[in-house]
Amino acid sequence: MSMPQSTSRQRSVFERFPFIPALGILVALLILNGIAEPRSMSYGAITGLIKTYLALMFLAVAQSFVVFSADIDLSVGAILSLVNVVVVVLIERLGGGPDSVLLACLVGVLVGTLAGVFNGLVVVGLRLQPIVATFATGIVFTGLALWVLPVAGMPVPQAFWRTYGGRIFEIPFVFYVVILLAVFIWLAVRTKYIIELMAVGDNRLAAYQSGLPVTRIRIKAFALCGLLSAFAALCIIGDTASGDPVVGNAMTLYSVAAVVLGGTALSGGSGSLLGSAIGALILGLINSFVFFAGVSSEWQNFAQGVAVLVALMAGVLVTRRISK
Amino acid sequence: MTRLSTSIADLVRTPLVVALSLILALLLLGELLSPGFASSSQIMRLLIVASILGVVAAGQNLVILGGREGIDLSVGGVVSLSAVIAGNMMQGSDAGIIPAILACLATGAFFGLLNGLGVTLLRIPPLIMTLGMLGVLQGLLVVVRSGIPSGLAAPGLARFVTQPFLFGVPGMIWLWGAIGVLMALLLRRTLFGYRVYAIGSNENAARMAGVPADLIRISLFVLSGMFAAVAGFCIIGYAGSSFSNVGAQYMLPSIIAVVLGGTPLSGGKGGYTGTMAGAVLLIVLQSILTTLNIEEAGRQFAFGATLLVLMLFYGRGKALRG
Amino acid sequence: MPRLRLKGVSKRYGATIALGRGDLTLMSGEVHVLMGSNGSGKSTLSKIIAGSVRPDDGVIECDGSVVTIPSPRAARDLGIAVFYQELSLASHRSVVENICLPRLSGTGGLFRNRAGMAAAAAPFIAPFESVLGDGFGLDVPVGRLRADQRQLVEIMKTLAAEPDIFIFDEPTSALDRAQVDCFMTVLRKLKAEGKSIIFISHRMDEIFEIGDRVTIIRDGETVSTSALADTSMDEILRTMTGEEAPGPAVPAVAAAPHVARQPSIKLKVSNLVAPGVNSVSFELAAGEILGFGGLHGQGQSAVLRALFGTAPTRSGDIEVGATRLKGNSPRASIREGLAYVSGDRARDGVIDGRSILENTVPIYALKNHLITASPRSLGTRAADALEQLQTKYQSLFHPISSLSGGNQQKVIVSRWLMAPPQVMLLDDPTKGIDIASKTELFRVLRDLAADGMAILLYSSEDAELLENSDRVLVFNNGRTVRELRGDERTRYHLYHAAYEAA
Repeated sequence: MSMPQSTSRQRSVFERFPFIPALGILVALLILNGIAEPRSMSYGAITGLIKTYLALMFLAVAQSFVVFSADIDLSVGAILSLVNVVVVVLIERLGGGPDSVLLACLVGVLVGTLAGVFNGLVVVGLRLQPIVATFATGIVFTGLALWVLPVAGMPVPQAFWRTYGGRIFEIPFVFYVVILLAVFIWLAVRTKYIIELMAVGDNRLAAYQSGLPVTRIRIKAFALCGLLSAFAALCIIGDTASGDPVVGNAMTLYSVAAVVLGGTALSGGSGSLLGSAIGALILGLINSFVFFAGVSSEWQNFAQGVAVLVALMAGVLVTRRISK
Repeated sequence: MTRLSTSIADLVRTPLVVALSLILALLLLGELLSPGFASSSQIMRLLIVASILGVVAAGQNLVILGGREGIDLSVGGVVSLSAVIAGNMMQGSDAGIIPAILACLATGAFFGLLNGLGVTLLRIPPLIMTLGMLGVLQGLLVVVRSGIPSGLAAPGLARFVTQPFLFGVPGMIWLWGAIGVLMALLLRRTLFGYRVYAIGSNENAARMAGVPADLIRISLFVLSGMFAAVAGFCIIGYAGSSFSNVGAQYMLPSIIAVVLGGTPLSGGKGGYTGTMAGAVLLIVLQSILTTLNIEEAGRQFAFGATLLVLMLFYGRGKALRG
Repeated sequence: MPRLRLKGVSKRYGATIALGRGDLTLMSGEVHVLMGSNGSGKSTLSKIIAGSVRPDDGVIECDGSVVTIPSPRAARDLGIAVFYQELSLASHRSVVENICLPRLSGTGGLFRNRAGMAAAAAPFIAPFESVLGDGFGLDVPVGRLRADQRQLVEIMKTLAAEPDIFIFDEPTSALDRAQVDCFMTVLRKLKAEGKSIIFISHRMDEIFEIGDRVTIIRDGETVSTSALADTSMDEILRTMTGEEAPGPAVPAVAAAPHVARQPSIKLKVSNLVAPGVNSVSFELAAGEILGFGGLHGQGQSAVLRALFGTAPTRSGDIEVGATRLKGNSPRASIREGLAYVSGDRARDGVIDGRSILENTVPIYALKNHLITASPRSLGTRAADALEQLQTKYQSLFHPISSLSGGNQQKVIVSRWLMAPPQVMLLDDPTKGIDIASKTELFRVLRDLAADGMAILLYSSEDAELLENSDRVLVFNNGRTVRELRGDERTRYHLYHAAYEAA
């Protein structure tokens, strides 16, 4: 092709890897944290950070799928809560042995996926506005979670959280999960499905006219979102070691923030799964930086809020500049 | 004759009529299930609660009408913050009412302005901008609350909000009615209103027709902040004192009220009258579920499911196939 | 046996009949031209075949058996592919991804294969190799391409579906002559291979160049099908409009009489530079209609949009009347007395879903600094302006979308007439509107010019441009290359000037 190769190649690096700005922010925050408190960069501290924010990483990647197709899912937190209580209660009912844990986790993943499919059917099948419809389904899921476990507190067997917080071959278990997530992302972005999903998010009517099964593609995105939210729930159980019917509800908006921080446009059609996972870590590092920077306790929330707002705005502006 | 019947059919399909008939049906149902549910004093109570949500929804409505994915998630934060500010400034004295309302309005306007500037000048999507602002406001709430004892409502304000004021109707409901009339006038009888709809329907064409779209959009966010502030101010009159993050429960319901009232999230059409009905509908629905005396789980489930069913009446998207 | 046959196909939306009775018989190895004025139903007909519109009634036969086409996917399975006028591309996806998109999931395997996709797309890009232009590349996101390049990608995407039946709905509107020639070569090849092609175009020369038969639709009904060799442009137009040939349509203007007496200059542009505009200078006198001509997309529209303040950057000197235009925004331009009417009504003109009244008053309200809106007093004024153009509407309070395209455009023009500007910028104002409305519009413009308004006119229809302009500036690559006056205002001179520099 006759084209000015150099310029378009330079552009396409950012275009093919939209998470690069997020990676930049991540590195900057790591350095800032290291300066503010060298111990925050220790092996143990990083492990702790990942342990705490792994759930949000999964949730952000989950949210990304629906955002890619220009939808949004405000029920991810409620799905997380629902799966959380389902798994915890099932483990309890099945006796708490290793088999029961495994079975409960499988059922939990299934429940999350079904919840996602339900969202897809409601939003896509009934043609409702995703923001309000998933808000409503989120209330339904919360109702179900409260029915499964009315009050927080049922503990999970020691083996569960010991494994999550423990090590295998001297490497923390959560690192294996991170690698698993990375492999999932690596595979996911190489599927044909993601091209179709992005095309749907880019221009829904055009995709339909191109003969794509738009309805099925969008419902699949909601299902994937539910599936990954269920994995987020498993991480939360590992972290908190107990069941809580509203544990995830506050995480919904953070998942949206992480997606945006990762360089994905809410208008759909472009973005990055890896970026969303990085976005979740950015939120974690902002919180820890504000803590380590010695902000007085009453101002911490405010400082975090301002930092997140600034990061969000910067993320949007940088992403836009690149895609110009 | 056929024209009459089609116009009746159209009327039946308007969100306002749907919402009003559902409200009536729910009230009847409530009365059947628990006599006294639809008594006038009970209805007044419901209306007071609805009016607070309705005032928040007024601002939300304006932002959504202005289009370009307009939405204001920060209203919850503004409501909470201004409730705390109002309480701290009044400290149970009527003399504090005027300074308190001014401080609340200024706070709401300030954060609305920030939202508006971010959305227009930097072109940050409203969802992201106001989500970020919500975090800032919640952080600020912690700062404002710490160190200062929780404030008290002025007795005058509490009376205005909860006690009969004129013709046996509390002042809060009069205020809401007045806001309803003003909103209708603003949207239908001023150029500002024309321009709000214009930027909501086709911003590019509106700009080409000389509409200062950015200015209009900034004012919508400012108004949204101010309405949320008024609501926060009134909440403390209703509750007596400020409590933690009271506004969180208004954020998404204010959006739902707008949608149930027939303003689609895509903007450019709809109006506030429907939103008022939407707010009442939400509150009556919640109240009936409380009356039913079922567990929290069942209440939540029923509330969510009912919302889904209600949404089927309005604003369903177009099918891809013509 | 015909490849495809439609019998009595109809589609209505509420009270509006989009297609009353569509009949069409498509043979193998033919280019079948579909003609009809705008809103006559030819787009609806092609969308029914494409599966994106559900017909209310009628029979569709494919290779002799009755079929239903419930979705574009089903159409694809029947071997039908469509070039959409408004394009069906994903702007963030690359050229290759867009070309391969329709067949992506059909080819087995979960994962994409970059090399395979590029190889699959290559044969469909190859015929256009020489006319792709700068900035085209396999990995370039479609959103970054020029309009003509995007149109080429849509063509390639249609070809890549490898169907038996093609529908091309206005495939050449943004292409230049060389690109059209490549496309015509491709069409001839497809025809020779026995493929069937439905072709919709507003370019008469193309229709006669490539078409075998023509089906004409008028007011939603198929009125005739004939071989193009047996008919003439005149006859087609007569059948299309249902009118006799309108003699010498609009009387050509005599060499501008205004120039004789010392004219007052209403608009003076010096060294205007903007995206797509390469240092343009000209003067426009009161009462004059200055035409912008040349091949499509050579900066005519870009100059008008830059003057109106919609270009992101602009430099050069612009004087309206005696004042210098400072701000670069529509508001600043309106304040100095400029008006702009776009051919792309949906994007630039119509405030969709709002009433006719609200669509008519914004400029008047702006210039008079109105704060409150009284529908009654505004309505009277709006009605007067609309009357001037003989706009047909039922009530000022009906949504503007209830009007036909021509009447919508009249509303937009009336918007400006409520507070008359000094200079009117007309950017292909008659695009997609019916002949009666066009005639009406130009009659009013003549009157306005006679009253001293200065008018800049760009039209994508050469005849319209030449007939209505006192002078014509010919554009090429963002510059003016020649001025045509008096007897020079002919198609010959226009194209001579346009190609000379190309």
